[in-house]
Amino acid sequence: MHHGFTGKILRVDLTARRLWTEEVAETLYRLYPGGKALAAYLLLRDLPAGVDPLGPGNVLILANGLLTGAPFSTATRFTAAARSPLTGGFGESEAGGFWGPELKMAGFEAIAVTGRAEKPAYLWVKDGQAEIRDATRLWKRDPEDVQAVIREELGDRLVRVLQIGLGGENLVRFAGLTNELRHFNGRTGMGAVMGSKQLKAIAVRGSSKYLEQAYEPKAIVEFGRRLVRLVKEHPASWDLQDRGTPGLIAGLNAAGILPTRNFHTGEFEGVDGLRWETYEKELLSGRRSCFACAVRCKREVKVDDRYQVTDSYGGPEYETIAGFGSNCGIADLQAVAKANELCGRYTLDTISTSATVAFAMECFEHGLISPEDTGGLELRFGNAEVMVKMVDMIARREQIGDLLADGTRRAAEVIGGDAAYFAMHVKGQELPMHDPRGKVGVGLGYAINEAGADHLTAFHDSMVANPESLSYRSALPLGVKKALPARELSRDKAELYGLLENWCSFEKVIGLCYFGPAPRSFIPVEEVVGVVAAASGWDVTVDELLRIGERATNLARVFDVREGFSRKDDTLPERLFQPLETGPLAGVGISRDDFEAAMTALYEFKGWDPVTAAPTRARLEALGVGWAAEMIEAA
Amino acid sequence: MRVHLGGHLAWHDPQKRSWIAIDQVAPISLIDLAHQLGLPLAEIAVVAVNRCTVALDDTFVSDADRVEFFPPLGGGGE
Ligand code: SF4
Repeated sequence: MHHGFTGKILRVDLTARRLWTEEVAETLYRLYPGGKALAAYLLLRDLPAGVDPLGPGNVLILANGLLTGAPFSTATRFTAAARSPLTGGFGESEAGGFWGPELKMAGFEAIAVTGRAEKPAYLWVKDGQAEIRDATRLWKRDPEDVQAVIREELGDRLVRVLQIGLGGENLVRFAGLTNELRHFNGRTGMGAVMGSKQLKAIAVRGSSKYLEQAYEPKAIVEFGRRLVRLVKEHPASWDLQDRGTPGLIAGLNAAGILPTRNFHTGEFEGVDGLRWETYEKELLSGRRSCFACAVRCKREVKVDDRYQVTDSYGGPEYETIAGFGSNCGIADLQAVAKANELCGRYTLDTISTSATVAFAMECFEHGLISPEDTGGLELRFGNAEVMVKMVDMIARREQIGDLLADGTRRAAEVIGGDAAYFAMHVKGQELPMHDPRGKVGVGLGYAINEAGADHLTAFHDSMVANPESLSYRSALPLGVKKALPARELSRDKAELYGLLENWCSFEKVIGLCYFGPAPRSFIPVEEVVGVVAAASGWDVTVDELLRIGERATNLARVFDVREGFSRKDDTLPERLFQPLETGPLAGVGISRDDFEAAMTALYEFKGWDPVTAAPTRARLEALGVGWAAEMIEAA
Repeated sequence: MRVHLGGHLAWHDPQKRSWIAIDQVAPISLIDLAHQLGLPLAEIAVVAVNRCTVALDDTFVSDADRVEFFPPLGGGGE
């Protein structure tokens, strides 16, 4: 008898209209206890190399973690994974909300979808059963309508709907998925994969309870109670609830690393228009949460002023504010909120969308894109109206929007000239709004991450820069040995990054939100170990949990190696090696030599070959996945 | 003097204020100001005075100044 997981994967072949259940043995599940790990394992097993990401052969995995749906704060996450149409490598994105927990209650750990429906379809999953239903009348409709229609059709207003909007239908390469209209698997184009399958939505409803399958239900209930108290008592969770990520704007600007005008500078003269005080005054209409989470860090916004913004799609997070704000040279939060609403409606990733608009603005200012390309629009930094219009054009693939919908890397190849320099991406995925010139460990993460640039691969440098800080001290049980300045790029920094990456990766496997565990937030490391044991009955240690995270990353790396990625792809955009021109960090760029030396140290720490950037057989065997070494040797 | 407690630094203020007005006649060092406000020095990562970033340990401020304290800045968001 296994605990904490359902042991079932729902398999769906849309072409053959066939559904079946795959059982997962506990021995296998302990190696890959959900999320990123289970997804990477299934993709390596079931997806041959070289499959067209937007063809019927791609496999879309939606995988919960061991803890997803447990009745305590931050146990909400699930992973969407497939071969990415944006990067061509391992595509992966996590989301919270309600859908993952509901899937668990419906009796499934994961869903794996292949093939392509003959006409638009949606999947209905309820208590161990599933069926494919017609979605012709839902195609081209907004998520808000789609959710309402599906709930009405199924006669249950508590059905949880994961779906794509127009961006996914139009195969925008950075389209994502949304659940409950407000929670997004934003990154790496998983919405385009779902759109390519003509799969509009997956509706789920379940009636089982997590505690029924947990090893020690009482311990989990007590843990949940402790967390409710901790959420109130810990400064980080208090801050997440009070201001959340929008509160980061002012501090990053003061530190000189608020991405501004396509990462040209790190200080924005219009920052007052974007900071939290303005958000609270001009946008904020309420707060929300994910399943059973006492943090309640999600903001609601509503605007009826310069722009009309509905409260249906949630409020902009930090990444979105910096992305459509400072990085597009725009100081108008209402315009940012409108762009955020449109991204929610079209299910576009706000990071890639905003970065692509900023890229296009810089190309326009340098004469690489002309008014003829834009239909006469003055696509300049600071033009809020045009920025909002561009989101629409990208989702609809109209005029220049059609090219931009393929992401900055592909657009730059077509535009030519200096456009490649303006394309701020790694492996084809656009940079989040954190400038590695001020926190170099984030740069190592951007460079090495299998899914391209991502800011959630590890904890940011400043959190482990002061040995007396709360965040540093809470990271000690992970084996952190030395606090390092945020801008130190060294072997020590590479090893610190590698260790923290394993922990972050573990969170993505197990189903915990980034805002839950230490060192980012309020759940002590020892408590995480305890609750994994209480859920599963496994006698686990911190080290085993770190190995789980490491194993998932190694499998994702094997996936990329199979697709032809190598060390040359683990790099940063050229602009980051150039010094910032203004602000507190004027004159600071990343030293290329230091960066390459740190990357070599990071490969060595990981047990990877520094020349090919591939995991060694010895390391894979030590992680219990020696079978994956053959895939590398065959590549 | 107007003082901003960015991010979770406001948690250390008994009233959880993010902006505090202080009647401060004599110049005061940032470290003393932080102590006076009950802010743990280890939680202060960036300080700006009148919108310019300064070092915590060698700056004095006085009445007309706008002071902003910020904690370590992590990322986040879906
Ligand atoms: S901390 Fe915020 S994002 Fe994370 S699960 Fe809770 S409400 Fe959702």
